[in-house]
Amino acid sequence: MMNKGKALSLMLAATLSVSALTACGGNKNDNGASSPAASGSAAASGSASSGAKDTITALLPPVSPTYQDNFDQMEKDFNAKYPNLTLKIEPASWEDMTQKLDTQVNAGSPPDIAFIGSDGISKYVQQGMALDLTDAVTPEMTGDYDAVPLEYMKNGSGLYGFPAYMEVHALGGNKQFLEEAGIDWKKVQKDGWTYDEFRDAIKKGVVKNGNTTSRYGFVFATAGVASKDYLGIMAKSAGMPASFNKDLKYALTSKNYLELLTDLRQMIDDGSMPKELSSVDAGKRWNMFLTGQTMITGKGLATFENSAKKNNAKIDANDGSAVKDSIKVDYIVLPVPTFAGAAPVSSTVVDGYVAFRGKKEPTAEHKANIAKAAYFLSSGQVAATTNNDLFAAHITKSGRDAAASMKIDRNPDNVAAVETMLSHAAPARPDIPADLGAKAIKIENEVIVPKMQALLAGEIKPQDMYDAVKKAAIDAFGQDGIVQD
Amino acid sequence: MSLYNNHTGSRAGKAARNTVIVVLLLLFALATLFPIYFMVISSFGDPVEAGAVSYSIWPGKFTLESYSFFFNYSKYSYRWILNSTIVAGAITVTNVFFATMAGYAFSKLRFKGRGVLFSILLAAMMIPYQVTQVPLYILIVNTFHIQNTYSALILPSLVTVYNIFLAKQFMSSIPTEILESAKVEGCSQFQIFFRIIVPLSKTVMAVIAILTFMDSWNTFFWPFLVTNTMDMQTIQVGLKNFRFANTTYFSPMMAGATISAVPMFILFFSLQKYFLEGVTVGAVKG
Amino acid sequence: MAQSAQSVKKRKIKGDGVWGYAFIAVALIVYAMFTAYPVFSAFIISFQEYKPLGSTYIGFDNYTATFKDDLFWKSIKNTIVYTVLTVPVALLLSFLVAIMILPLRKKLQTVFKAVYYLPVVASGVALSLVWLWIFDPMPGGIFNQFIGWFGAHNQNWLGSSATAMFSLVIMAWLSSHGASIIIYLAALLGIDDSYYEAADLDGASFLQKLWHIVIPSLKPTTLFLLVTAIIGSFQVFQNAYLMTGGGPDHATTMVGLLIFDNAFKYFEFGKAAAQSLILALIIALVSLFQFKFLGKDVDY
Repeated sequence: MMNKGKALSLMLAATLSVSALTACGGNKNDNGASSPAASGSAAASGSASSGAKDTITALLPPVSPTYQDNFDQMEKDFNAKYPNLTLKIEPASWEDMTQKLDTQVNAGSPPDIAFIGSDGISKYVQQGMALDLTDAVTPEMTGDYDAVPLEYMKNGSGLYGFPAYMEVHALGGNKQFLEEAGIDWKKVQKDGWTYDEFRDAIKKGVVKNGNTTSRYGFVFATAGVASKDYLGIMAKSAGMPASFNKDLKYALTSKNYLELLTDLRQMIDDGSMPKELSSVDAGKRWNMFLTGQTMITGKGLATFENSAKKNNAKIDANDGSAVKDSIKVDYIVLPVPTFAGAAPVSSTVVDGYVAFRGKKEPTAEHKANIAKAAYFLSSGQVAATTNNDLFAAHITKSGRDAAASMKIDRNPDNVAAVETMLSHAAPARPDIPADLGAKAIKIENEVIVPKMQALLAGEIKPQDMYDAVKKAAIDAFGQDGIVQD
Repeated sequence: MSLYNNHTGSRAGKAARNTVIVVLLLLFALATLFPIYFMVISSFGDPVEAGAVSYSIWPGKFTLESYSFFFNYSKYSYRWILNSTIVAGAITVTNVFFATMAGYAFSKLRFKGRGVLFSILLAAMMIPYQVTQVPLYILIVNTFHIQNTYSALILPSLVTVYNIFLAKQFMSSIPTEILESAKVEGCSQFQIFFRIIVPLSKTVMAVIAILTFMDSWNTFFWPFLVTNTMDMQTIQVGLKNFRFANTTYFSPMMAGATISAVPMFILFFSLQKYFLEGVTVGAVKG
Repeated sequence: MAQSAQSVKKRKIKGDGVWGYAFIAVALIVYAMFTAYPVFSAFIISFQEYKPLGSTYIGFDNYTATFKDDLFWKSIKNTIVYTVLTVPVALLLSFLVAIMILPLRKKLQTVFKAVYYLPVVASGVALSLVWLWIFDPMPGGIFNQFIGWFGAHNQNWLGSSATAMFSLVIMAWLSSHGASIIIYLAALLGIDDSYYEAADLDGASFLQKLWHIVIPSLKPTTLFLLVTAIIGSFQVFQNAYLMTGGGPDHATTMVGLLIFDNAFKYFEFGKAAAQSLILALIIALVSLFQFKFLGKDVDY
């Protein structure tokens, strides 16, 4: 009896506490369900209905400062153009967007379109998750793009999206300092320079104050996210426009590579570059450029001209808002020097709208709709506004037309210099198979970048780094898979 | 609080001792506070790009422009703060409640498999999140279809092992005799929990509340993963939008970070009396 | 007699047992769904070459590849060095600060608690920007100015393998004690006054009380902080990721960073899962040791 009573009260109490719990949990769920955006987002990729109505999802970072403000307008414009289609834009921050995309890809449910660098395409092709749009795009679409950037969106024979812009990685110089050092920058803009000419020039740019250097000839950002840039950009003009040569042999084991490494170290030993170069990041070197601590900086992008102009205006206003200790700077676009007698090849970055598939194969209709959305985002008004914001060159006819009426204030010499560099841009290499590309990326991350940091810090010799890269390359590609000269 | 011998030594001696302590604490505080100081003063700078930030100890200019830039940057700025408050608030409440309950069970109740269950719980903490997040994402998005909802943001953190462990460790110092005598007097476990354990555990509950709130307020990656519209983002996700390809809006980001620290302060000061007084067994007995 | 006593005991255990399960029910359900299930998935994935459109089982390949990977062992070594250098010092500092805050007047106590809690509320990205400035390799960097006063040379703090790890350790020493200080303070305040009163009657000194009352009473708290700090430290990757990227020459590559790279940079999700499980096993062994060592007198 007593036992029964006790058990009963226990059970009663248990239900009480359980119901208290569910009440608690229920509240949270109600919160969720009543939120405006809670429902309706299940229409992810790959589930296109056979009806005319369709939704395309796009994962987009803040490409330019005003880009994300225009999302609502873009969605509206797209719907006006294709009344049966809805464009759903997911915003994402730049640095974390790859991680989000990769999680979605790994989970088998990526968005239909994501804005990524063209160098990322092979990774997703290898996973089988990039969507080949070749038979979904129309000739009117592909015909709108310049040939070179469009090539970058290919892998093998497939076309995986549309390019948004092609930017050239250049150097940036301080006009006044260049002229003080007796450098004919207009000639360099036109004809380029060799490593020896460049080495002399930056030596002349150095200003010493007793034992300490108050101005360097050249500072390149090599720390943090910029770690790959320096070597990658320079290697293009050292006879290695890509990690693999035309015969698909790994190119970074050639003699030129060793010479390039030796030259890069030499500029530090000359005192033309700071010996702390390995921890100079993108923000730091820009600060050094604006405060007159360096004559030339890298990497340089077209928009830097604008940033320098803005700071000049603030110095004039003299209201304490300019960068501390900064001086007025005329930003001059300069090409990268050529190494080991190689031809100049500009390093370019092509970013664009890449298409993805989910676990289910998308229908032909959905594919065509994805192509429409990718084209919409990368051409015409949208492209014109974005690229102008970035000071980036237009790469579509429709974009150029739309931009004709928008005026921007740029130094014509710089515009011409960028055009010259774009004329010998590194060609796209869709012929490099995805698995080779993946191995090269792994060598870059696990061997090249760490060794480069050590080389710049003066802890290893160029030969040590060269040997380490060669060893890793032989492990990955075999003796026959690499360039030996 | 008589760890220190207050009755021995003169008043001057005590004052001297406390002065030394305050100086030491201040010196160490200086080092820990510096980053915060920098965050706050930079938030009063112009909304310029990061490359143009001048690192200096004194602000070159005092302006609230970055704050208005933050709120004008996106029409969702306020919404981000609201979302964070809802999510962190809900997670805090559930954690305080369920972790205290589970902590009590694990430290004071004897039941079969207690040790094993607790070890299994702990073991889960040891797996890095990088590999569990994809399966978790699949569960939330592909199985439950609740992405972009508050549920998706709250459910996985409803009660964490960390908090259970913390509660369990604190409760292990509650003398078992009190519980035994309560049981002899005919209290059910339910009554024991609410009448004895909860009052005795105010301190640890406050600690759990503060730490949980802070943690979920600062969480970035999970909310970033499972939200896909701006109106569902939390403040930490929103703040990251100030970083662009080649530039960052530095001061507005710092202004946002400063604003987002305010709720944590409010919570801290509203709960801090529980740490100050401390609840001891003696207090309850008396 | 003996039998009835036993049955009484049994009944008590049984009664407690039901309550025990009821009290942990929610925790267990949440755990099973959102933790155990993903961990189990990761376990399965560790035997696969993972592809979203259909994985293939490859047996123990991911494990054997990991065991043969020099970089993996180097990162484990780095992680252990980092943990050994940071966790004990950070714990000791938190303990000392908590002890020092204790005798102050209430207002001062509040001020200091807030001051030490403050850094925890700042976002990680904002903090890392400041730290990059502190470790600025140029003469204008804060640390370089500081050591300059003592006539020391400019250091390339994060860029040279001699100082990179040390710089990360300093960063850990000087930041983020907020949580452990608060936890220690709460535990200190929970010590019953009657213990001190008894010790006072015996004429115990401050150090004696510290040694015989405070430290034993704080054992459960110390165990908690130590176990969680070591787990956190073994999984650390944010600092290395934001500050050094693992360089130079892998001097600061932590195993957490390696797992992150495998999962996201190279899409070798199976390998990342295998490495995580090996890491978890190592952490589990270390934790087991701590429980054996510190948990003895603690009733759990």
